[in-house]
Amino acid sequence: MIDPYYLQQLVIGLSLGLTYALIAIGFTLIFGVLNVVNFAHSEIYTIGAFTGLLLITAFAPPLLAVVFVVLAVGALAGFGLERLAFKPFRRFSDEASLKSRAMRESTLMSSLAVSIIVREALTLAFGSQFQQVPLAYLINQPIRLGPVTIVRGDIIILVVAALMLGGLQYLLTRTRIGLSIRAVSDNHMGAKYAGINTDRTIIMTFALGSMMGAAAGILVGLYYGAIFPAMGFEPSIKAFVAMVMGGLVSIPGAVITALILGVSESMATTFVSSVWSDMVAYSFLILTLVFFPQGLFGKGRERV
Amino acid sequence: MSDSLAKRAGAPAALIGLVLVVVPSVLAYYDKGYFYQLATLSLIYALLASSLHLVTGAAGLLHLGQAAFYGVGAYVAALAGVHYGIPFILGVPLAGIGAALAAVLVALPTMRLVSIYFAVATLAIGEMVYLVLLNWVGLTGGPNGVVMFSGIDLFGYDLGTRLGAYFAVAITVSVSIWVIHRLTHSYYGNALRALREDDQCTDAMGIDTIRLKVGVFAISAFFAGVAGALWAYTTGYISPEDFSFSASILILAMVVVGGLGSLPGAIIGALLLILLPEALRGIGNLRNITVGITMLSVIIFLPRGLMGEVSALHFFRSRFASAWPGSGTRKVGWR
Repeated sequence: MIDPYYLQQLVIGLSLGLTYALIAIGFTLIFGVLNVVNFAHSEIYTIGAFTGLLLITAFAPPLLAVVFVVLAVGALAGFGLERLAFKPFRRFSDEASLKSRAMRESTLMSSLAVSIIVREALTLAFGSQFQQVPLAYLINQPIRLGPVTIVRGDIIILVVAALMLGGLQYLLTRTRIGLSIRAVSDNHMGAKYAGINTDRTIIMTFALGSMMGAAAGILVGLYYGAIFPAMGFEPSIKAFVAMVMGGLVSIPGAVITALILGVSESMATTFVSSVWSDMVAYSFLILTLVFFPQGLFGKGRERV
Repeated sequence: MSDSLAKRAGAPAALIGLVLVVVPSVLAYYDKGYFYQLATLSLIYALLASSLHLVTGAAGLLHLGQAAFYGVGAYVAALAGVHYGIPFILGVPLAGIGAALAAVLVALPTMRLVSIYFAVATLAIGEMVYLVLLNWVGLTGGPNGVVMFSGIDLFGYDLGTRLGAYFAVAITVSVSIWVIHRLTHSYYGNALRALREDDQCTDAMGIDTIRLKVGVFAISAFFAGVAGALWAYTTGYISPEDFSFSASILILAMVVVGGLGSLPGAIIGALLLILLPEALRGIGNLRNITVGITMLSVIIFLPRGLMGEVSALHFFRSRFASAWPGSGTRKVGWR
């Protein structure tokens, strides 16, 4: 018989992992298509949380309506981000500059710069402290399940993550948009030659991924009741670690490693002080990069 | 020869005069603590940006954790000073060596990685070092940081005055940047640039890329550690917050704004990103957002940076006499 304490830790870890997974899904989608890291994804997440919060304090609509508006804002933010930080670097579409490392790294830095600007603008507008979240909207009412206790938010986040993953798999494998996304991620030039509007596909991907990031932001914000301008940084690094461990292009892989990461972190607090639990993610990252450069679920790809 | 001597010595002499004569006289004239702080901070960040320039600019390894080695240097100097009474003249190189050792330890497992994977690994390492500084309360004092009471002294002669501290920092930074300049503008620098352009090709040309990478990583960390020691000695108080991810990003932004691969660019970027937010201080605390906006606009509108690599190399070859004179105006090789 497992000690109920460990069972409870396991559940806490799984729900932590789910919050990482929510972010990792959008992250991985964008990485898969452009093969660049979108550092501003964490700010999309923050923008989602702040939009939801503004909406809640202004109109107090039902939660579902909040989520839908946040999805729309997320898509818009993704579109803007793509125009601002990624489009300027696709001026040259010849083979050499597509492969050039300098090209990829300049988008990395431009997204980093956008992320700094958004975070600081939010700080200037709202202050860096936690925002007041109306209690009625917090999704942390406890539910007892045998020996363990979960909260309502766990179920909501689980359902949303499952919907996102299922919906994305459907979209990617069963629709024309999904086909074009997969074509662009497989071979940018080839897709172009086959008559796919790669520009539009990339924007679609950004909108999709950012919608998921924004939805994750408001849900996790309401789950912990902690909405502040720098809220995206830490979970995004964890989501990033999950993405790298999952093999960079595999979305289910990223979700599974996000869960593993969450459980390891919550289990680690049993043995060491909780301030060290962040160390788990970073050590996992280094170990993965050194011993499994392909990630745990990745297929063969260029050398790392 | 006479005109070439003027040409050769002009630019370096002007720079030395600026750092060691003009700036201190201006500082002494106004005699405000704030200006001294600003001057020292600019110099320290100029050194940090130059150290990152070696790794990210010249060798093309995107490094997102330079603040970690800056932090290691600062803590080595501060703890050695507080617990063992190590003086300034020994503390600075000790901090550099400590940071370089940490860098070699870090580099051995991660040097196999290229491009974005290397960037992610350095990000993780930066965060790990930050966590250790923050949470190993027994050694580092945790969030409270370390307070140093001993100021800067040279062979028992106290340089406690603000001007003395400025000179100590200025001379250390100048010597360090001169070493970085000699490394960048030489055949060693050529090897680094070859590594950046194509590491497999460089390997095939007979250059041991792993050794080169570990070496440049350690050298860069050494100077970051020296900068950390200077920071610890001049402020007398260090806390983990000074060495968080945002500091790494600030240093990277300086190198990017100045122009990747260009040493004067890195210094210009450092001065710009330290002084511009201070100049805008009247409007509010705009430091970080200025950094972001400057970085984004430079990346989009001036992709080569404020002083691109090509013009920087040309400048050093002609003005600093880093190349041998060939026939006519042509310059040959490095010296």
